[in-house]
Amino acid sequence: MARPVVKKEFSLSDRVYLIEIIKGLGLTWKHFLFNFRACFRPGPHTVPTCWQYPEDLREIAPIFRGAHMLLLDEKGREKCVGCGMCARACPAKCITVKRGKVQEGEEGKYAGKTYCAEFKIDMLRCIFCGFCEEACPKGAIVLGQEYELAEYTPEKCLYDKARLLANYEKAKSEGKLKPARKPVPVEAPPPKAAPKSKPKAAAKKVKEKEGTKQA
Amino acid sequence: MEGWGIIIIKIVFIWTWTLLIATLMTWIERRGAGLIQDRLGPNRAGPFGIFQPLADGIKLFTKEDIVPEKAHKILFALGPILFALPAFSAYAVVPFGDKIVLGGKEIILQVADVSVGFLYIVAIGSMSVYGIVLGGWGSNNKYSILGGLRSTAQLISYEVPWGLALLAAVLLYGTFSLRDMAFAQQGVFLGFLPNWGIFKQPLGFILFMVAAYAEANRVPFDLPEAESEIVAGYHTEYGSMRLGLYLFGEYVNIYTLSALIVTLYFGAWNLPYVDMSKFLGPVAYGLASFLVFFLKVAFFLWLFVWVRWTVPRFRYDQVMGLGWKSLIPLALINLFITALFVQFTA
Repeated sequence: MARPVVKKEFSLSDRVYLIEIIKGLGLTWKHFLFNFRACFRPGPHTVPTCWQYPEDLREIAPIFRGAHMLLLDEKGREKCVGCGMCARACPAKCITVKRGKVQEGEEGKYAGKTYCAEFKIDMLRCIFCGFCEEACPKGAIVLGQEYELAEYTPEKCLYDKARLLANYEKAKSEGKLKPARKPVPVEAPPPKAAPKSKPKAAAKKVKEKEGTKQA
Repeated sequence: MEGWGIIIIKIVFIWTWTLLIATLMTWIERRGAGLIQDRLGPNRAGPFGIFQPLADGIKLFTKEDIVPEKAHKILFALGPILFALPAFSAYAVVPFGDKIVLGGKEIILQVADVSVGFLYIVAIGSMSVYGIVLGGWGSNNKYSILGGLRSTAQLISYEVPWGLALLAAVLLYGTFSLRDMAFAQQGVFLGFLPNWGIFKQPLGFILFMVAAYAEANRVPFDLPEAESEIVAGYHTEYGSMRLGLYLFGEYVNIYTLSALIVTLYFGAWNLPYVDMSKFLGPVAYGLASFLVFFLKVAFFLWLFVWVRWTVPRFRYDQVMGLGWKSLIPLALINLFITALFVQFTA
């Protein structure tokens, strides 16, 4: 319901406007003084409403979706098997994967029987949706916390496998690895919710029918 | 009579001083706006961003000077000059301190103590409208011409209450010279108040303030350059240092008007209850009077910025209505009461 417009009768002091201006000046002075004092506080991030970016970085959530990385397992082997699921899932079509078979004597390097011979991500096309991360059956590709991705040439924004592995090493050394994803329950959802919603829907249908009959 | 050398030194000093204040004001306005609006404002160039005006100046000087193809070339070039010239020359008769005695010579801290300083201010003040309206016309742009016309109408309307408020002050002090007006404000009034114009002319002060904001084209009367309505008003087509001259002229105008308010209503360089010349040496007194005067002016300069980020812009008909239907009758009443007062107490 829209509320009716009530026109306020202005008193003489309102209409003279000077007193109102002085009140307004008081309000802006309060803001000015607060921010002025905040400027002189020690430490980064002094003014509460402004982040002074290069000096004053924000805390980033652990599940932030930034630059990609290719993970290694606990034995130091590449998790990726080169299946190409990420490339299929990618809505921006920015991932290129080529599969290679693991030769004998290379088992210490790769976790699966196959591996990605080539893994390219075009960061200029990527939209950071995280679908590749969700699609990956081995949990090999993950979006990290790095977000300063500007480069001087477009070629540098084409991340290859070495760069993605380097991202992993960097995140590991900084302790910024993503926490392991909680296992998604595979069974059907518990039957509690189902009976509750059904009668309601049924009742609605009945009501609709009645409504149509009356009409 | 002072020698030519001293006069030239005073001219150069007040010229550079006003320029310095005007450049600083651009920074103070942006910083103040930021802090009032919970932002930071320009804080990168130098400590607290104090060299921002310098960076802006370099930018304005090195930018390409664009003249619109269909603009009137002469008027387009003349506009900013005609705006800035009166702004700079208006300060000539406004004092910036009492006097300083150097080497046995008494130097008055005022470029020219003319006996008709009041008339000079009014005449020069109304000159600046030529710069705006010629610039607006010469640009050959609908927004520019609208801004120019608005400015003309506004300045003409507000010149009347402005002049009438000044006239009441002239009646009260009995002189046209701004320096003599400053002298008339020494001592105390009614035994306990400082003998300042604001206590004798409270209504006149309010009228003068409001009209001064309109004269300087400042918020809430910045109709000539209303960004949300007519792009940038009269300086829409201007860029590089021509625009710089317009902006500088505006701040110099603000400085002159603040100095005028202090001279007329806030006792110029006089401190309340204290006579500085009694216990200060001649040189120290000169500097102290300059400092006191400047501190008072600085408050009004800040008030211009402060009001700008507090009060929203008036609608155009409201501006005209306020000018003609409220300020002019009030100014006439104020003049009448002052005349009666002066007549019966003299």
